[in-house]
Amino acid sequence: MPNSSPSPSPMAINVVAPAPSMFKKRSSQSAAPMASAASYLSALSQADARARNTRAPTATPALSLSSSVTSSSEDTVLHDSDFDNSDGLSLPARPPTSEQVFTTVHTEFGHCANEEYRLVSQHTAGEPLPAHVEQDPPYYILLSTYISYLILIVIGHIRDFLGKRFSPKFYTHLVPRNGYAPLNSDFDSFYTRRLKTRMDECFSQPVTGVAGRTILLLDRISPDYNHTQILTGTRTRALNISSYNYLGFAQARGGCADAVEESIRRYGVSTCGNRLEGGSSDLHTVTEALVAEFVGMEDALISSMGFATNSAYIPALVGKGCLVISDELNHASIRFGTRLSGANVRMFKHNDMRSLENLLREVISQGQPKTHRPWKKILLIVEGLYSMEGTLVNLPVILELKKKYKFYLFVDEAHSIGALGPHGRGVADYFGVNPRSIDILMGTFTKSFGAAGGYIAGNKALIDRLRIRGHLGPYAEAMTPPVLTQVLASMASIMGIATPSPADSTALVPASHPAPASPSSLPPWLTLPPLLSSGTEGRSRLRRLAFNSRYLHHGLAKLGFITYGHPASPIVPLLLFNPGKMNMFHRMMKDRQTPIIVVVVAYPATPLVTSRVRFCVSAAHTKEDVDCVLRACDEVGDVLDLKHGIPKRERWDIERIVSSAVELATS
Amino acid sequence: MESASTNLEPLFAFLARSLSTLEFAFNKLPGSAVIQRYVKSSHQNDPGRTLLELILVIFAIRTLLQSRTRADRTGKNFIQFSEKEVDELVDEWTPEPLGQPLSAVEQAELAAVPIIAGPNGPKPKLVNTGKTATNLASFNFTGLAGNEHIKQRAVETLRKYGLGSCGPPGFYGTLDVHIDLERDIADFLGTEATILYSQGFSTISSVIPAFCKRGDIIVADRGVNFAIHKGIQISRSTVRWFDHNDLKSLEDVLEGVEKERRKRRGPLTRRFIITEGIFEKDGAMVDLPKLIEIKYKHKYRLILDESFSFGTVGRTGRGLTELYNVPAEKVDLLVGSTATGLCAGGGFCAGSQTVVDHQRINGPSFVFSASMPALLSVSASEGINMLRSTPSILSTLQENVRAARAILDRVDCITIPSHPASPIIHMYIRSPSASSLHPSSAAPSKPSNPTSPVPRDAATWDWDIETEERLLQEVVEEALAQGVIITKAKRLRGQEAVEPRPSIRLAMTSALSRKDTEKAINVVKSALVKVLSKRR
Repeated sequence: MPNSSPSPSPMAINVVAPAPSMFKKRSSQSAAPMASAASYLSALSQADARARNTRAPTATPALSLSSSVTSSSEDTVLHDSDFDNSDGLSLPARPPTSEQVFTTVHTEFGHCANEEYRLVSQHTAGEPLPAHVEQDPPYYILLSTYISYLILIVIGHIRDFLGKRFSPKFYTHLVPRNGYAPLNSDFDSFYTRRLKTRMDECFSQPVTGVAGRTILLLDRISPDYNHTQILTGTRTRALNISSYNYLGFAQARGGCADAVEESIRRYGVSTCGNRLEGGSSDLHTVTEALVAEFVGMEDALISSMGFATNSAYIPALVGKGCLVISDELNHASIRFGTRLSGANVRMFKHNDMRSLENLLREVISQGQPKTHRPWKKILLIVEGLYSMEGTLVNLPVILELKKKYKFYLFVDEAHSIGALGPHGRGVADYFGVNPRSIDILMGTFTKSFGAAGGYIAGNKALIDRLRIRGHLGPYAEAMTPPVLTQVLASMASIMGIATPSPADSTALVPASHPAPASPSSLPPWLTLPPLLSSGTEGRSRLRRLAFNSRYLHHGLAKLGFITYGHPASPIVPLLLFNPGKMNMFHRMMKDRQTPIIVVVVAYPATPLVTSRVRFCVSAAHTKEDVDCVLRACDEVGDVLDLKHGIPKRERWDIERIVSSAVELATS
Repeated sequence: MESASTNLEPLFAFLARSLSTLEFAFNKLPGSAVIQRYVKSSHQNDPGRTLLELILVIFAIRTLLQSRTRADRTGKNFIQFSEKEVDELVDEWTPEPLGQPLSAVEQAELAAVPIIAGPNGPKPKLVNTGKTATNLASFNFTGLAGNEHIKQRAVETLRKYGLGSCGPPGFYGTLDVHIDLERDIADFLGTEATILYSQGFSTISSVIPAFCKRGDIIVADRGVNFAIHKGIQISRSTVRWFDHNDLKSLEDVLEGVEKERRKRRGPLTRRFIITEGIFEKDGAMVDLPKLIEIKYKHKYRLILDESFSFGTVGRTGRGLTELYNVPAEKVDLLVGSTATGLCAGGGFCAGSQTVVDHQRINGPSFVFSASMPALLSVSASEGINMLRSTPSILSTLQENVRAARAILDRVDCITIPSHPASPIIHMYIRSPSASSLHPSSAAPSKPSNPTSPVPRDAATWDWDIETEERLLQEVVEEALAQGVIITKAKRLRGQEAVEPRPSIRLAMTSALSRKDTEKAINVVKSALVKVLSKRR
């Protein structure tokens, strides 16, 4: 892996003297000598403009250049009328030195120049994958969790019982009326009404702006116990450790956004129609070719929605007389698709290879139920990275089983693509296996690429079949040009674009799979700034993500929390157990001086007892951001009694964790 | 021996002590005397019974502890194999290939798919031919594709929100622009609330299972589109079908369902009528006022898919409710597409607040999918603004539809099942045998079987799908050679509930002037005549 230090600035930036403050408050939190916001931002925008100017000779259309320069000077942060860095989120802890050029907005993509905080996401060959251990909390936690649910359910039923008799007007939509059955029965909606409503403040929080390193919350209050939510009109900037923005490509500024703007001007917003009947554009062809190159398959097909990629293409792969073997924790879209396909379904215990092998032996020897005819085909569907557990699929073992049992393998890389592997090419890259040993790779662009939609990749014959036999081809709208361009631009910057000069082409273009993109794979009008096109920034993003993931994972474990999942996973679940703690955890993280927003998940997304908070680390986070999350968890964890992972004497102090982050991450 | 017993002595003492404590504790429990008496007396009367009861208790505990996901190895159909036999069976088994390679016909079909070079619009350039052609294939009904104002707003949104939302609506994926668009659509249609989905196709197939559960009753039109079929399939509800766009048949079916329920004295379950505003399969239009009347009479809820009528009919494009002047509130669930109607992306379901809130937790493709990119949402909002402020968009569209129909209705080698106001115009090849008869009047008088989606006159269908598909493809290619892009309606042969008749589907647009439309339609006409007359 080449060293990925930021390329030295062509021109040093002089940080101008602090201008009279135009802001209500000054930053008071940071200990480091801090330039004022205005000077910092002007330096930043100058640096940005200069960085852009360097690419002027490379045939950038004049239109794009001028628009991007003018737009870069008006920064999102400056638009905030109530600019305030008291939360420490808008400005980095230390201002950039004259050698450092950051082309990103700190609130979207954090500035971090320390090369120590980088790691490569890679599996050590031959090392067995740690099994998925569900660590149990002390018995009193389990007991109190059950009791909490019991109390909630009993109180809920009492309220329903009394409510129906004393204030029936609140129940009209739950009882038959005028000969209409209720849209949802009170029994079916019990969980929603009596349990989820209590913690509705944790869900569906409206936001605005970029879902990057930070996010702007639209504050809301509920005057009637969460039955209605009223927006107060104020906004709060919070550290965002919840969005699936693994590589930090959710940006309103920078090379990718510039490319998207150019594409809107050239292509408009929509391609008007479905892929087979006049909604296909040349951009689709280009993007599909690049996606196939990226994942290392012969061909790829993209669709405008990630959920639909599974729910509509699985039925085109299997049908009656086929068997789908599915991990018990597979995503809802996979279940949806499998149900539509008409194939038989069997499940195996989450990531348990022994359970899988036993099941395979059973189903192949028994054949179809009743008739005992052999199965037409068996499709094993697993996810690369499980979104609620953070576990990695045991790909090496599955591939061995595949050789013996001849099933077809479908890997849903919705979360792992871009987020794992030394080249960001997903689980196959992480484990260093040939992607073509997998039959079908599916993934989404919503996560690492900051776009939307999904893809499915495989051999050419299969993908061509899906093009005309999949449900989406003739019936669903095609992916729109801006989204396609975001996919192209972000993917190309992860891959890097090979330089076309023949002299060093032998050195730069290895024949093997994770290779840079060839320059011809992008449309001619799409030019990326040098940092992106060389792949330097892409590599740095991958390495930052790998570091942040491992650091947060090990940090939380050392603090004493119970966490699930693989350390390389950017998804880090922290177990809460008690339902009451979900609300509290969410509130306490949000109400800190540096607000942090978290995702709490409970039944039915998880088993009843294992309510959890799920962190999604991003390359956009700096080490200081992860420190901030760890500190917050440390304090909140003490208050809420969450540290049950390791005995007290083995725990580390928060200061020790923060100061030995590198050691922790590499451990 | 001696030492062993002395060693065991403390143990015995402990056992005796704990037994007496247990007995003491048991005696302290309220009601323990009753149990004691019961056990004693039953043991006295029938010692065998105690044993039986003990076995019963053990069995109950075992059943409770048994894993529910474990394979059913004890089932009647399970055959016990030795490990060696299993190995042999595993070696023996050869699966079918995952996907058959495409046949020559399919390959040709894939190669003929039009691919637009650059922006789509009324006259785009094609990759296939390298030439510009008039577009009657893409869904650009309102002509908003490439609108400069919308582009500008999209760029502004991009610069504020980035592109992707990076999260599902439940977890920080709900943007203020989504809330704005939801309100805009609700205001535009006149419903209480609206919910946005990130893909039009997945909207209806997610709305249906959110409400229709096992045991509920769905009465659906036989001609509904593929997405509705999939939604019905996944809902596992009881389905009854009525004849395509035949409200008389609907009433018959509804009465039949009610009779059945009375006979069975079943509980009141949710009942839905599902149909489309303008049918994707043939462009027919439902008689909404009559439908609403029926639904109220029989106390059904109506799920109306307006994917092809929202943004295309009515004075300002509000859809069927505007065309027929029916308040949109009377449609319980109104599903539409912002991708086809407004040239943006995504779909929506409008209805009462309860209906919408329910979907926010129970709509699978709402809950489990990332929300729509902000700029698509803003583009859709702008589209609605334009429809509101520029009624000429819709009047031009309707004028073009009329102009097209004026020419096409006089072509006698085809039949057109579409409604005269429908912006999608399907064209069937006229069957030589039943050429003079209207399709519905030719149908036999015996009522159809409501449990099957297959129409009653399916047996009399005399078209050969392959031949017609081939002929129509020739028409498409002929038209393209003359500079007009049209398309066959692409179907998933073998996966549809009923094989739809092959057709050519024109999509009219307000972006073309009446003159251009007429010119293009005349090209289509001559292509039809040229290819189809050769056949005879």
